[in-house]
Amino acid sequence: MGLKFTFPGRFVSPLGFLGMITFVLFIILGITGALLMLFYEPELDRAWNSVQNINNVIPYGFHIRNIHYHASNAMVMVALLHMYYQYFSGRYKIRNEILWVTGILLGVLTILEAFTGYDIIFSERAELAISIAASLTNSIPVLGPQMRDAFFGGGFHDFVLRFYAFHVFFLPIFLLGLMVVHFPRFLVFDVPMVMAISGAIMLTGGVFPVDLGTKFDPASPPGITVPEWYLTGLYAFLRTMFDKFVTGVAWPGLFIAALLLVPFIDRYKKFSWKDRPIVTAIGITSLAQIMVTTYWGFYIDPDIKKALLERLVIDPIFFYLVMLLLVPLSFGFTYMMIKLAKNAEANKKLQPKKATGKSSINLSQKWIYIIFISLLGFQVYLNIMAYYAVLNGMKNFSLFIIGIIMLVFAGMFHIYRHGRTMAKAPPPPPSKPLIPPTAAKTSPLPPKPAASAPSTTQRPLAAPPVQKATGNQPSSSTSNPEASSKTQARGAKEAKDADTHNATTSPSIPRKEKPE
Amino acid sequence: MVAIEGSGKVSRRDFLKLLAAAGTVLTFVPFVDWGKFLPNPAGKVASRAKVELPDGTQANVKTFQVNSSQAVIYPKTNDPTLNKESFRIWQFIRLPEELGGTKNDVSAFRMYSMVCLHLWCLWKYWPDPGRKRGECPCHGSMYDPLTGKAFAGPASLQAPPSNVLARLDLETDSDGNIWIKPPNFSPDANGVVGFGRFLKE
Repeated sequence: MGLKFTFPGRFVSPLGFLGMITFVLFIILGITGALLMLFYEPELDRAWNSVQNINNVIPYGFHIRNIHYHASNAMVMVALLHMYYQYFSGRYKIRNEILWVTGILLGVLTILEAFTGYDIIFSERAELAISIAASLTNSIPVLGPQMRDAFFGGGFHDFVLRFYAFHVFFLPIFLLGLMVVHFPRFLVFDVPMVMAISGAIMLTGGVFPVDLGTKFDPASPPGITVPEWYLTGLYAFLRTMFDKFVTGVAWPGLFIAALLLVPFIDRYKKFSWKDRPIVTAIGITSLAQIMVTTYWGFYIDPDIKKALLERLVIDPIFFYLVMLLLVPLSFGFTYMMIKLAKNAEANKKLQPKKATGKSSINLSQKWIYIIFISLLGFQVYLNIMAYYAVLNGMKNFSLFIIGIIMLVFAGMFHIYRHGRTMAKAPPPPPSKPLIPPTAAKTSPLPPKPAASAPSTTQRPLAAPPVQKATGNQPSSSTSNPEASSKTQARGAKEAKDADTHNATTSPSIPRKEKPE
Repeated sequence: MVAIEGSGKVSRRDFLKLLAAAGTVLTFVPFVDWGKFLPNPAGKVASRAKVELPDGTQANVKTFQVNSSQAVIYPKTNDPTLNKESFRIWQFIRLPEELGGTKNDVSAFRMYSMVCLHLWCLWKYWPDPGRKRGECPCHGSMYDPLTGKAFAGPASLQAPPSNVLARLDLETDSDGNIWIKPPNFSPDANGVVGFGRFLKE
């Protein structure tokens, strides 16, 4: 494959490489999962105990398990966001249909992967999930029971062992195979963003450590449990107590089939969501329905005086009515958004661009050093904290701090990269204002937006020349490049930078930047 | 195929392609049966098996009390972990008097999977007067000992076949010992453990 990793030289919008983040999370999951395999025992009687052992006894088992758990949730979430971003930006057009189709399959497999993962703990919740999965498979007409037998095996012992096999081998292999087809040629590997995501996962793991649940005991009543958030939508449908096959197999199957067909149904010639009203409206509707059903699946009537069944069952008429009601609401919302966006666009065209519209934070060398060194000091402090947290057995706290260390590292890397870009900038050409005085102001072409920004951010106290300049040019808002030759040099560089900055979401841009 | 033969316009290349396709299909046909690798054969028992009570004796028509029950492992293995498996645990019931439990033949006995059809807890038979039914401790599904059909609780609301327990067919020998006939675990016959059985009546 002509696969290339590119390391962008500056911050680019993360929306464009959500897919890359999904892949990074997949790698994190692979590593932590492989480590967990050393202690996990996929056996009916010992599965839960071995997870408990990992969590409570094995040094750093708690950390590894929490990273694995939260990364799996993050992977599903990021994959979903990735899908919706691609959907609304119409990236599946221009012969990218195969990327979209493999992407949907990857998404389905990712959810199955996450699902089998939380089932093999074999807690009460896992058992409920397995039993629902098995009964849904059984409910498939004609072939159901045979399929149950073939894929799930004969009983709990088989279920745990097979789910384990699926989780650690079959599904990841399928995922990898599909990824080979799915990957575009360029993968934007943004180090700070990857570090920040990893840090965020650890931080979440420290604040919300995942529990073990209760060991499944077939003789004692289980507490009320709901599945993981990516399945509560499906769970809400099941809770209407309507036919299992229809609610649990046919509806999600239809949803997936509809997603697969999207690139072949969407015949709009344009890419932007604003120019594809119907497709956008359908996307918004699906988002709204996913959110409502996901929440509904979580909601259980808190009144404990009622019978359990009464609390669990969702009234199908009410439920489907709300789903239907969301359709016109979402279409209306989309109509409004498109109208607002188009108005804003028109207004933008009418009015000259403001010079301060798109400014990037620009630090002088001195401040870069100061921030870098203080972050380094902060990291030393955090390391000592993490060390003491481990010594005192405060697992959550140490995981939390390590998460922060990762985030700080992300910040440091970002600043380091920023400093390098600035250092590598070509020597400034002899200072001449980028914006010709007065004449350019009235020309139809608006001035380069970021040209004047650096002088404000870098030397906020350089007021007098600015004032003088604005006196000359009434329509230029804040400052003028006449300020000083040094500032001007930065300004010119930054203007170039800002220009490319505006276009970073296009896939080919990061390729241009290849440091080292 | 018919159209091709009728028109007689099969070129040599097409014919070779057809042969290649047929050859490919034939090469892989024997592998279809290898799909039997997937289901676990441990649940299949070819010959009849004893109803082995927890105390190690074989259940007998003459000694087993009316309106009582025992948990029986079937198919039993030498592996204690596998024997703990819910899917191998069956409730062996001698029906109460009013349901014909006093008869000294196999019609007085029933054997149902103990896995509740709702969410796979283990139900059991309650012989107390006024109860005399199978009850699940988890969400209160209740089963009729005569047919294995759920008549109350969440399991009773499930569509067939998921409202009737899987059962095993029994037979007795001349000494009154009770045996389990080789089962056919399909919804139309003995039923599927944890899924259910179509009730024929």
